[in-house]
Amino acid sequence: MTAAIAARDLTRRFGAFTAVDRVSFEVERGEIFGYLGANGAGKSTTIRMLIGLVAPSGGSARVAGHDVATAREAVKSSIGYMSQKFSLYLDLPVMENLAFFGAAYGLEGKALRTRAGELLERVGLAGSEGQTTGELPGGLRQRLALASALMHAPPVVFLDEPTAGVDPVARRAFWDLIRELAAAGTTVFVTTHYLDEAEYCRRIGLMVDGRLVALDTPAALKRTWVPERVVVARGRGLGAGERALRAAPGVRAVAPFGAALHVRVDPAALDAAGVAAVLARAGATDVHAEEAAPSLEDVFLAAVGADGKERA
Amino acid sequence: MSGPAERSAGARLRRSLVRIGAMASKEAIHVRRDPRTLALALVMPVVMLFLFGYGVSVDLEHLPISVADLDRSEASRALARTLGASGELDVVSSAGADEAQALFRRGLAVAALVVPEGYAKDLASGRRTPVQLLVDGADALVANQLVAKVEAIVRAETRRIAGLEAARAAPPVQVKVWTLYNPEARSAVFMVPGLSAWLLAITAVMLTALAIAGEWERGSMEQLFATPVGRFEIIAGKLLPYLVLGLVTFQLVLAFGMVAFDLPVRGSLVLVAVLGLVFLAAMLGQGLLVSVLAKNQLVATQAGALSAMLPAIILSGMIFPVENMPRPLQVLASIVPAKYLVHGLRGVLLKGNGIEVVWKDLLGMGLFAAAVLGIATLRFKRRIA
Repeated sequence: MTAAIAARDLTRRFGAFTAVDRVSFEVERGEIFGYLGANGAGKSTTIRMLIGLVAPSGGSARVAGHDVATAREAVKSSIGYMSQKFSLYLDLPVMENLAFFGAAYGLEGKALRTRAGELLERVGLAGSEGQTTGELPGGLRQRLALASALMHAPPVVFLDEPTAGVDPVARRAFWDLIRELAAAGTTVFVTTHYLDEAEYCRRIGLMVDGRLVALDTPAALKRTWVPERVVVARGRGLGAGERALRAAPGVRAVAPFGAALHVRVDPAALDAAGVAAVLARAGATDVHAEEAAPSLEDVFLAAVGADGKERA
Repeated sequence: MSGPAERSAGARLRRSLVRIGAMASKEAIHVRRDPRTLALALVMPVVMLFLFGYGVSVDLEHLPISVADLDRSEASRALARTLGASGELDVVSSAGADEAQALFRRGLAVAALVVPEGYAKDLASGRRTPVQLLVDGADALVANQLVAKVEAIVRAETRRIAGLEAARAAPPVQVKVWTLYNPEARSAVFMVPGLSAWLLAITAVMLTALAIAGEWERGSMEQLFATPVGRFEIIAGKLLPYLVLGLVTFQLVLAFGMVAFDLPVRGSLVLVAVLGLVFLAAMLGQGLLVSVLAKNQLVATQAGALSAMLPAIILSGMIFPVENMPRPLQVLASIVPAKYLVHGLRGVLLKGNGIEVVWKDLLGMGLFAAAVLGIATLRFKRRIA
C-alpha cells in the first residue's frame, strides 16, 4: 500500500498571493503527522486542498489512494475532518449530531446506532446522548466533534487545530484519543500551534509563509535546527541584559520567552554561568540561568527567523 | 469501498436520498428545538392576519362626519338622518359651516358636509342645489369610499325628496350597482388571500435565509462540504422542512381566515394547496438566493425581509390593483410571485375558478421558482473551490 497522504509540489495561489508554495510530503498509514506554522502560514489551505474543499493551483496530491483533484467524492468518503471553527450543531442533542454526520456518510439504521454508541463510549460521552451539545464543556465538545468525524471509520483523519481554546487537561485527554486512533491504524494529519502537543507527533512539517521549511521527527528537528545549547535565564531587569547578551561573544541568538530569555550559545565559548555573569554585569538581579534541552519552540523560532540575530 | 453493485444508478440515488433525508431531519430538529423559528412560522402569521384583517380594513365603519345644516328644514334633517342610518357614518352636528370645517381640521371628523340655506326650497322647485363635501384626502382609500358613499346618499335622498315634493310622474333613473363575489364588499374577504401571500412570503424567505446563512456563520457549511453530501442535496434537505412548515402556515392562515372572516371557499381546496406549494417553492428559492449572496444572518434577515415584504405588499395587488399601476410597475409586478398567488387565490376562493383559469398563475410562480432556485444553486456551487 502506498502512503496514506502524498503531496507533490502542491500549490495554491489566491490572486497574486501564494498561500501554499510547492509543498511535498508523504504521510504513512497509522502515522500522526503534525503540521505546524504561524497563523496564515498555509496550514489550513493545505488541509483544504487535501480534503477536496479547495482545488490546487498546481502540483498534485493523493489521499487514501485517491487524487484530490479528480476523485473528490472518493476522497471525501475516505476521510474524517474536524475543521478549525468547528462545527457541531450546538442546538442539537449529542446523539443527533452523531446521527447526522453518520447519515451524511451513508450510515443507516442499526449500523449507525451501533457505531454511534461505540464512539460515544470511546470518547467518554456514553450516557450523554440526549444532552444538548451546547451545554457540554469545551473539551467534551471537541471529543464529540472527533467522534462525528470518525462515524464512517475513515482511514485518514484531518484535524485542523482540534484543541484550540481547550484547557490543558482536556487537551491531554484528547491527545490520548488521537494516539489510540493512530495505534489502531488510522492516519492522523493534525495542525496545532501548541508546540508541546507537537511532541506527540511522529513527524512534524513546519510551514513558514506557505513553504514547508522542515520535515522530520521532533528529535531530529531539534538536532538540525538548534545545534547550539539553549540557556534559559530568569531574573529581574533582564531587559537591559538582553542587549548586553547580544553583543557578548559566543551568543548566537536571544529571544524573550514569557518571563525568561532563551539564549542560544556556542557551547565552546559560553555556558549557563557565563550567561548569568553577562546579565548580572548589565544590571539584572536574582539571575538564574540553566541549560535546557532545546524544545520545539526553539526549533520553531529558529525556523521562522523570529529571533534577534537572524533578523538583524 | 465501492463495488460494482454500489456504483449502479439505483444505489447512488438511494444514497443521495439518505443524505437528503439526513439534512432534512437535522433541519427539522433545529426547527423543533428553536421556539423562535416556530413562532415566526406559526404564531406570527396568525397574529398578523388578525391585526391586518381587522386593522387594515377599507370598510367604512362609524366614521365621524360633521354636518352643518344651514337650511334647518325637514328635507335637510332627513338627509342627515339617512347619512347616519347606514352605520358607516356617525353624524356630528355643527352650528355652521365654520364649525364644521374646524371639526374636520382638528381631525375630529373625517369629512364635513355643508347643506346650504334654501336646500329644501331649491329641491322643491327643481333647481340645482350645491351641497359642499369636504373630505380628508390623506387617506386616499377612505376618501374615495367616503365620497362615493356620501354622493350616493345625497343623490338618492335628493331624488326621493324631489320626487316626493314635486310628485312628478317620471321615475328617477335608478342606478343599481351589483357587487359580485364579495357582495358586502367586506375587505377582509378580499384581503385574506393578499395577506396569506404576504405572510407566506415573509416567513418562507426569512426562514430559509436564516437557516442557510446560519450554516455559513457557524462554520458548519465547510464541514458539510467536507462530507460526501452534495450541493444539491444540501439545498434540497434544507428546503424540505421549511416547505412543510410553510404549507402548515398556509393552511393555518386560510383556516383562520375562514373562521374569523368567513372567507368563502368556492373552488377546489386541492388547487388552493397547489397554488400555495408552488408559491412556497418560489419563496424558498428567493430566501436561498438571498442567503447565498448574503452569508451572514443579519444581512440575510434584512435583505430577506425587504425582498419578501415590499413586492408582496405593493406589487401583489393585495391593496393596490395592479391594473391601475403605471406600465413599468405592471411589468415589474408580472415577475412577483405574490401577484400570481393573490390573483389565483382570489379566483379560486371567491369565484370558484378551476385549473383552466389558474394555470397562468401557477406558470408565473413556477417560472420564478425555477429561475431563483437555478441561480441560487449555481451561485452556491461557485462559492467554494
